[in-house]
Amino acid sequence: MIPFRNELILALVWVAISGSYSIPNLAFGFVIGWIVLFLVREQLQTTKVVIRPIALLLLIALFIKELVLSAFKVAKLVLSPRMDIKPGIFAYPLKVDRDFEITLLANLITLTPGTLSVDVSDDRRTLFVHGMDCSDPDQARRDISQGFERRILEAFR
Amino acid sequence: MSGAAFLNICATFALGVLTISFLLVVVRVLKGPSLPDRILALDMLVAVAIGFIAVLGLRSGVTLYVDVAIALGLVGFLATVAFARFVMSGGVDAIKEEAEEDRP
Amino acid sequence: MIDGIGDYLAGALIVVGALFALTASFGLLRLPDVYTRMHAASKAGTLGSCLMLIALAVHIGEFATTLRALAGVVFFLLTAPISAHLLAKAAYSAGYRMWRGSVSDDLAETVTAPKKNGLVGTER
Repeated sequence: MIPFRNELILALVWVAISGSYSIPNLAFGFVIGWIVLFLVREQLQTTKVVIRPIALLLLIALFIKELVLSAFKVAKLVLSPRMDIKPGIFAYPLKVDRDFEITLLANLITLTPGTLSVDVSDDRRTLFVHGMDCSDPDQARRDISQGFERRILEAFR
Repeated sequence: MSGAAFLNICATFALGVLTISFLLVVVRVLKGPSLPDRILALDMLVAVAIGFIAVLGLRSGVTLYVDVAIALGLVGFLATVAFARFVMSGGVDAIKEEAEEDRP
Repeated sequence: MIDGIGDYLAGALIVVGALFALTASFGLLRLPDVYTRMHAASKAGTLGSCLMLIALAVHIGEFATTLRALAGVVFFLLTAPISAHLLAKAAYSAGYRMWRGSVSDDLAETVTAPKKNGLVGTER
């Protein structure tokens, strides 16, 4: 583990966004990153995360494909003369249990076709998902667990 | 047709399309009917505005527009989060109720 | 980047992005309740503005600025679902009901107990 890894990442992001590649600016970014991480220190989890690069790339590829597909699906639905939708909220039992995995899954679900995460139960076992087409919740649940959740488990376990 | 001329036509067309979508979103802001609808429409308005800025940056070639787009995205996100917290705490009705309770 | 190809690519990207923004705002007008509208805004809207920012990144073709534009795209992709999610949760917990054509509501069973401020049960 590299010391001050998170501060260094924030410093590099700062340098990229401010567009001035110099040592003082990097140091300034490091100081800002340290202050930010100091402010949120109580919310940070200190679990050790294993990242598998290839699985992570597959997850990103799947995500981009699903985002484009979902935008087309929404476009098709909106432009069709008769909107035939059956919206509803269904519960999705979570297999992932760490906070950052739940956050990631919820965000990915929001950007995929016809689903939008609304809430997480207090015990972090169930995710409530609003579906554009809720006529077959079991199929929707299967899609999520076969797609994103499996890929997340592969990428971070 | 040269690349620059093609880009110019595309940019003009995109500006027209964005103007139409901007007006459609404004109709939703005015119509409501509920507070979350309006907040959502305002969020969408920011997204359309970022599109506008990107197209303007393409046409003029001024790189500063990138920073404007990022800053606007940040402000829009924070505004939506603040509005959502406001709705979660009960919205306008809760404030009215509190004011009425305070009255002797 | 070779001049011609970059221009054509950027032009195509902004047209597609603008059309996605148009469908998103069209959906915002046509869909029946706040939750279904959120689908249109959070998906088509996000993709639209991201495509237009990518077009800007392609067109400028200068390393520092392209990196900044791509950072903007990543930032937008990260924040759009968070704000949609937070707004949906806020609207639901403040008691805004779903459209009457909705077919199922698993969340209703869990929030019958009044939460903080006792606002969940209030009818609107």
